[in-house]
Amino acid sequence: MGKQVTEMLKGTLEGIVLAILARRPAYGYEITAWLRDQGFSDIAEGTVYALLIRIEQRGLVDVEKVPSEKGPPRKVYSLNATGREYLDDFWRTWTFLTDRLDRLHDAGR
Amino acid sequence: MDISKLTAKVIGPKKEWRRYKARKAALPEDYRTVLDAVQRYTYYRGPVTGDAIMSLLEDLIDVFEQAAAGGTPIQDLVGEDPVGFAEGFIDNYRDSDWVAKERQRLTDAVEKATGHRPEDGPAARDTGEDRDVAGADDDMPEKGEPR
Repeated sequence: MGKQVTEMLKGTLEGIVLAILARRPAYGYEITAWLRDQGFSDIAEGTVYALLIRIEQRGLVDVEKVPSEKGPPRKVYSLNATGREYLDDFWRTWTFLTDRLDRLHDAGR
Repeated sequence: MDISKLTAKVIGPKKEWRRYKARKAALPEDYRTVLDAVQRYTYYRGPVTGDAIMSLLEDLIDVFEQAAAGGTPIQDLVGEDPVGFAEGFIDNYRDSDWVAKERQRLTDAVEKATGHRPEDGPAARDTGEDRDVAGADDDMPEKGEPR
């Protein structure tokens, strides 16, 4: 994947991660693994962690520290009510954007 | 100035700082080297108050410890764009730096001059709420239509 997709992902990764957490709670590595699995291979694990810290600061997720067999406790993130509202808003914006871009695309053909 | 002396000067002899250093010393060597580099970068681009720097460093080492324990190669943690990784991380602590004050000042000045609160001022950017999409219901002009 090229530079363009990296740039576009910057604006949407937050929504993507919230959407992943809407399915079930997860910790950082699981989210990165899922993204890789879906073809988002250029996303650094650290970028996901930074984003998780941000959505925690903004109160979109609840965090539970779960003991891990090796190393420090894992932070497990789950979407809360505020996060769900934010995600709904994200999808509305997404629908608006894709709709308008499709029109532009069709008009330019 | 030696970077650790600079840090000690800003943060002071706090127990949080000592604990951070001990945690860093326990990391694998390549992790530690990269953390040092990211840490140095944050002094130039990140928050400026001791508390905010400490809070950033504690979050940062949480991430490094988790990734190291999970066996993530350091390359996969920072990715192809280490600066981008550092910037993304630092962005989380922007509100505590002096630039935040200037952002607020700029927004307030515009509000005062126009009597209108800019929608995408610092407050709106933080919550991401209530972003009105102007002209959302206007149709695009058709191709070739005179404007």
